[in-house]
Amino acid sequence: MTTTFDGNTAHLRPADQTLLQIKDLVVEFDLGGGRVVKAVSNVSLDLVEGETLSIVGESGCGKSTLGKAILQLPAPTSGSIVFQGTDITKLSKKDLRNVRPAMQMIFQDPVSSLDPRFPVSRAVEEPLKIWNRGNEIERSAKVDELLNSVGLDPALVRDRRPYEFSGGQCQRISIARALALEPKLLICDEPVSALDVSVQAQILNLLQDMKEAYGLTLIFISHDLSVVKAVSTRIMVMYLGKICEIATPDELYSRPLHHYTSALVGSVPVPDPERKVSATLLEGEPPSPLDPPSGCRFRTRCPAATELCATEEPMLRLAADGHYVACHHPRA
Amino acid sequence: MDSVKKSWVFRITIAWFALIVFFAIFGPWLPLPKWDQVFDDALSVTPFKQGHLLGTDSNGYDIFSGIIYGARISLFISFTAVFVGGTIGSAIGITAAYVRGKFDYVVSTLFNVVLSIPNLVLSLALIAVLATNVDPNVPTSTGRRIMVLVISLTIVIIPILGRIARAATLSWSNREFVLAARSMGSKDRNIIWRHIVPNVLPAIFAVAFLAIGVVIVAEASLSLLGAGVPDGTSWGSMVARGRNDIEFAPHIIIIPLMCIAFTVIACNYIGDVIRKQLDQRQAKL
Amino acid sequence: MLKLENLEISFATNRGSLHAVKGVTLDIAAGESIGIVGESGSGKTVLSRASMGLLAPTATRTGTVTFDGKEISSLSRDEVRETWGTGMAMIFQDPMTALNPVRRVGSQIMEGLTVRLGMSKADARKRAIELLGRVRIPDPEQALKKFPGQLSGGMRQRVMIAIALACNPKLLFADEPTTALDVTVQAQILQLLSELRKELNMSMVLVTHDLGVVAGHTDKIAVMYAGEVVEYATTKDLFARMRMPYTEALMKSIPRLSTPSGSRLPVIEGRLPDPTKPEPGCLFASRCPYAQEKCRTQHPDLTTDSDGHQYRCFFPLGAAQ
Ligand SMILES: Nc1ncnc2c1ncn2[C@@H]1O[C@H](COP(=O)(O)OP(=O)(O)OP(=O)(O)O)[C@@H](O)[C@H]1O
Ligand SMILES: Nc1ncnc2c1ncn2[C@@H]1O[C@H](COP(=O)(O)OP(=O)(O)OP(=O)(O)O)[C@@H](O)[C@H]1O
Ligand code: SF4
Ligand code: SF4
Ligand SMILES: [Mg+2]
Ligand SMILES: [Mg+2]
Repeated sequence: MTTTFDGNTAHLRPADQTLLQIKDLVVEFDLGGGRVVKAVSNVSLDLVEGETLSIVGESGCGKSTLGKAILQLPAPTSGSIVFQGTDITKLSKKDLRNVRPAMQMIFQDPVSSLDPRFPVSRAVEEPLKIWNRGNEIERSAKVDELLNSVGLDPALVRDRRPYEFSGGQCQRISIARALALEPKLLICDEPVSALDVSVQAQILNLLQDMKEAYGLTLIFISHDLSVVKAVSTRIMVMYLGKICEIATPDELYSRPLHHYTSALVGSVPVPDPERKVSATLLEGEPPSPLDPPSGCRFRTRCPAATELCATEEPMLRLAADGHYVACHHPRA
Repeated sequence: MDSVKKSWVFRITIAWFALIVFFAIFGPWLPLPKWDQVFDDALSVTPFKQGHLLGTDSNGYDIFSGIIYGARISLFISFTAVFVGGTIGSAIGITAAYVRGKFDYVVSTLFNVVLSIPNLVLSLALIAVLATNVDPNVPTSTGRRIMVLVISLTIVIIPILGRIARAATLSWSNREFVLAARSMGSKDRNIIWRHIVPNVLPAIFAVAFLAIGVVIVAEASLSLLGAGVPDGTSWGSMVARGRNDIEFAPHIIIIPLMCIAFTVIACNYIGDVIRKQLDQRQAKL
Repeated sequence: MLKLENLEISFATNRGSLHAVKGVTLDIAAGESIGIVGESGSGKTVLSRASMGLLAPTATRTGTVTFDGKEISSLSRDEVRETWGTGMAMIFQDPMTALNPVRRVGSQIMEGLTVRLGMSKADARKRAIELLGRVRIPDPEQALKKFPGQLSGGMRQRVMIAIALACNPKLLFADEPTTALDVTVQAQILQLLSELRKELNMSMVLVTHDLGVVAGHTDKIAVMYAGEVVEYATTKDLFARMRMPYTEALMKSIPRLSTPSGSRLPVIEGRLPDPTKPEPGCLFASRCPYAQEKCRTQHPDLTTDSDGHQYRCFFPLGAAQ
């Protein structure tokens, strides 16, 4: 059976309630010579204003690609992205530019997302300058306010350049920059992975505050399931470019239905030297995104895989209230 | 950097550069004979004799004047060629690497093709095409010959620096800060000017100095082959004129050759210093 | 194997000298694994870079770093380079800036193998494929041909790991090696590192802020704060009986799976002291819930208790008041 257009949209809510609705998004990279990386395949998702959707999944499963595709960096291969009622995949270059301030992203690699020649103050001020927000003095005050809110002392950091900072400090600078334009939608790609736990807590609380203060809506990409649990209203689990499961955090952790999710939840390292986690290691080789397995993409490593899993692709379907799973034989 | 600044090699290099640039600019106003003033009573005089600091050649031209006037043409030709060629090459290279796609493919193929032709062959061919008059009996004017020389050397420089600019841009435009700038709504023009150009410029400068050396040598070689500046003098043409006197008055060609060598070495050295600074900066990033 | 003695590192900045690492003394035996944890900006990366002889030119260093019996600063640049790869190797914190963006992944992994170990191209290729497989990159053969920009963040990080492991180093610095990896791959990579440690008797310095990661994979842990080692003990001991108020605060702010969703996470109020301005007292005093007058005026020294547990505090936890 082939994928049908609206097969995987059971979890979507009515379009008029959502801030962002993505339907059937596909992102492929052509490597030449007929080799195509299928980074994101037929992903649909939506976000209600004020919500935090977390995306978790194996490294290389297409989370960053999905995040960037929402910002049209680069534009997706196909699919629609409706943001505040307009399909931004169909906008002209000029109109798209006008939408950009409302959608910002914190990129995964903190150091390389800052221009090495720009002192911190200029890096954070740049978005304000691009959009001519305020005059010199107002902008400078705004920069100080932003730096303060990410836990950096403006007087100390303003004139320094990125290479003088540690990885975590760079991350905070890029968070300040992303917040400068007061976006409606903020896509955070591993925003706290470079931070130690105490600063991480500060940043997460800050994002929470910003959410309340500005009605910010978040897409939160992370590997840290404990962090994800603390911040999100909904969690989406991806494997090799596809959605496996969507649920609220409490539901997902207490009752993971998909076999990949359960492997994921079981591998969380615990700060306790007595406990070993290696028992739940995921077996098998990760498949290549150039040539993903037929049917369910997880079947090559799934302990419960059957014949059916190889021939038919499982569709997302409702399993419990607000809990959707794409699996033929979900865990009980 | 400070340790480099203190080294005597660096100081001598800078002093030499300052000296020849000074001569090139103010040469004609210095109290010296004109380079083509003939001293009938002093043919092939060795240095420090008969009031000629660096002696005279077999035509009775004062070599010191020749060096100073020659600096003017040699430096003019090489700086102009590198500046114009570098600017055009960088613009093409940076744009190609930024937009990628077909344009990039065409540009890099063209660069590679041009680079595979030896410098001298290319500029000789260009000179042959550009400098011949419709009427073969009217010789081309000096101004036009210089122009042609500059243009042909510029064309040689374009792919050299263009390729460097392209490679440097590729490495920078992959960084996420470029994506970040785009996501903030920066226009492509601004991204190139604010984020890419300043970051690739040092790499281009380092190679540009090496290129000045290449051009000075190329110009001299063209003179030796008879395709240099016809009347008027450059260091290359001084060598060319003196090549028959090498046995009995070697200083006639040794002096301009040494000027060429010093300048080329100085250029390479400065290029190297910039390169090292660059590596250190990169190590910091 | 590696011995750091009284290591001090400062950077010349335009606001004066920035003291990034202060008087660190550490000892790493062959086959041992040491974890370094601490707040962002506390000098973990600078410390490991210094041990490898990889500091920025603006840095000055005093104290000694001895590797395999040789003082690093007495070695010439070429000799230091000799030790890279086969002696010491480092997994850098920022894969994107540490990898060359315009060279294919394959040639970057193979470089060390052909240059350092003198392997033939074909052998190096085979080994590169094997390494990429071991760090669980899907389709290693294809991955060799990609540029770093075409890989995901976690894949780049694993390429860095493969490069660092290529020449079987005796000592591995792993600077936040798994930050970009999901927990399943993270568990596999950590297990791989542990295996290699046993197989090759490799020592490891694991720099991370994830106390969950250090818990299962290190013998000893050094906790750093503002450039100083503030607590140093065996992993078991540290988790069982921490003595530094800072370590306790750190443990408290770890989000756990049991944290209810939507709740605010506990933080350590305040921030690191300005590293360019020396402070007289305990560096943690402004944020420490147990701070007393003495803490603000006198600097605590590293104290060793009867079990060899070291800490830098006047009023350690668990002491009789
Ligand atoms: N520009 C590109 N060209 C070719 N392939 C790419 C490109 N960008 C990403 N990919 C591929 O797409 C897949 C998904 O990458 P992506 O960066 O989205 O993963 P991710 O889920 O963010 O992983 P991580 O958690 O490791 O960051 C990977 O297989 C990667 O190799
Ligand atoms: N090249 C440099 N020039 C000036 N200061 C620097 C330089 N490199 C690091 N620093 C400073 O040294 C301190 C320690 O930095 P380091 O990178 O070691 O932190 P870290 O503990 O690794 O933090 P993180 O967990 O965020 O990576 C920071 O305050 C940083 O600003
Ligand atoms: S569909 Fe089949 S292979 Fe896929 S997760 Fe479910 S049981 Fe496993
Ligand atoms: S010395 Fe004082 S301020 Fe410092 S950690 Fe101990 S109790 Fe806290
Ligand atoms: Mg990613
Ligand atoms: Mg660090």
